[in-house]
Amino acid sequence: MVIGVESRMLLLPFIDRGPSEQAMATFTDRAWPDYPRFLEGVREHTQPGDTIAIIVPAMRWEAGYSYAFYRASYFLTGREVLPLLTPHDEPLPQNYRAAKYIAVFGVGLRIPPDAVWRTRRGALLRQRQR
Amino acid sequence: MTATLVAILSLTVFGVPVALALDRRARGPLLVGSAFLYGSGTMYFVLLGLSIAHIRWTLISVTIASLVIFCAAAFIARRQSAEPWREAVKPHLLDLLTIFTIFCYALYATLAKVWEWDFWAIWGLKARTFLEIGGIDWRFLESRWNTFAHPDYPLLVPLNYDFVALLGGGWNDRWLALLGVASAVALALVARALAARETTPFFAALLTMLVAALGFSRYVGLAEGPLIAFGGAGILFIRAALEWDDDACWRHGALMLGFAANCKNEGVALLVSVTIAVIASSWSSAPARLRKLTPAYVLAAPWLILRAAHTLPTDLAQGSAVSRLLARLPHAHQILAYLAEQLSSPWFWVVILTGILIAPAAARRRERFVFLVTAIQLLFYVAAYLATPNNVHWHVLSSWSRLTTHLAVPIAFAVFLMLANSLRRSQDAPHAEDARPVVPARSDE
Repeated sequence: MVIGVESRMLLLPFIDRGPSEQAMATFTDRAWPDYPRFLEGVREHTQPGDTIAIIVPAMRWEAGYSYAFYRASYFLTGREVLPLLTPHDEPLPQNYRAAKYIAVFGVGLRIPPDAVWRTRRGALLRQRQR
Repeated sequence: MTATLVAILSLTVFGVPVALALDRRARGPLLVGSAFLYGSGTMYFVLLGLSIAHIRWTLISVTIASLVIFCAAAFIARRQSAEPWREAVKPHLLDLLTIFTIFCYALYATLAKVWEWDFWAIWGLKARTFLEIGGIDWRFLESRWNTFAHPDYPLLVPLNYDFVALLGGGWNDRWLALLGVASAVALALVARALAARETTPFFAALLTMLVAALGFSRYVGLAEGPLIAFGGAGILFIRAALEWDDDACWRHGALMLGFAANCKNEGVALLVSVTIAVIASSWSSAPARLRKLTPAYVLAAPWLILRAAHTLPTDLAQGSAVSRLLARLPHAHQILAYLAEQLSSPWFWVVILTGILIAPAAARRRERFVFLVTAIQLLFYVAAYLATPNNVHWHVLSSWSRLTTHLAVPIAFAVFLMLANSLRRSQDAPHAEDARPVVPARSDE
């Protein structure tokens, strides 16, 4: 019985859960706390069916691009999020060309003045029609 | 939170006539626990059916389809008559501790919105994606960019999340973890009812507390919780069915296992494990008993057919799984040693093994079905590690602790009852027989 029951959980009603709530709420995006808000902005400025590619500081799969891509997929449901890298870090330029929008987060690029939407940490750029 | 609570209540009410149509004798904890599980499983099929029929999910379309099933089940249930089980579940003071344990786990699960990586990259992602178009988005599942979301995984859990979102008027992942808590409660209620048929209220209450703790998945928001609940309930019902050759238990067990197969691929493996264990534990009556498992396969079939029709890739089957398995077989001992090293809650398994060893041989024989299921399922898991296209160490680290939780409830239930009843018999020996609960004789004894 003692082994089966998680004794630490039994203390939850008697302790201040604030720090735990804060830790859990920020756990997923601890590296880039602003990223979810940025993605919500991208969602507001795009339509279902749009294709979006993501550029982030970590342009290596295991170094953070996988997180950025998966997280974008979750926040941008209804749109098609295209990765710019394979899990083996091979670039996918065809996805860059195919995307209607490029969402740039946390990268010091010079943002063109005609960006669809911009924030302190990033911008949403619309690709020119070819 | 209101939408999730209303969803849990709605699923339970929806499941009541289904549970009664299958087992008119169901009462109390058995009825409530199985009703939630049937409601959850049936709602999955409602949404799956609407999606296949190209009817957009709306609160109205889902309600109409559910009402049709609700009325049909109520009609069937009303036509049946049966006496309730003689061994009514008697409450015990220990039940208060179980309620407290569940309350603590619910606090943990809802500390924040669901934080698990696999929730927002697999289960929640699919639910949210499907909600956008009001049906299963086959284009999303077929896209080669979305293989990370494991498109082949069954959809019971995402579609349950979609039901909550339909009730709430939109996607909100803040309180979805409560569905997992409800699954654990449902399993505990089923276990309580089944244990009450075999042991004293004290031991039944103590065992329920253990089941409630083991049935709660620490992997919040993933399909682990529902799989543990459906799979655990399925095994416990089949165990009871073998014990008493009870048709209602066979129906419950088969359907629960069918729903488990719609939670995760491990649920499909569990169905196969149970089938092999049923054959192995009763050769002579195997054909008749296997026929009683047919509903499980009927429930598992639609998703297996759909995923084959849409050629959704399974990562384990990439390339040649057999050649990988054969290549790693000579190193199996190293992989087994690594699995032992990485075992989550090793003392729990030491206690279980010790319990099996010290239990009387007759009691062990009675529980051979549960032991066989556990052993076969563990073999499947080891085979999956041998055949994985991923790095074995990474695969073990990222999944082994989750996989072992799938089997904890049934094996703990069997070992606990073996020991409790042995202890009780040795203490009760000089006393009157009528002090014990009525335990029907095993059907094949």
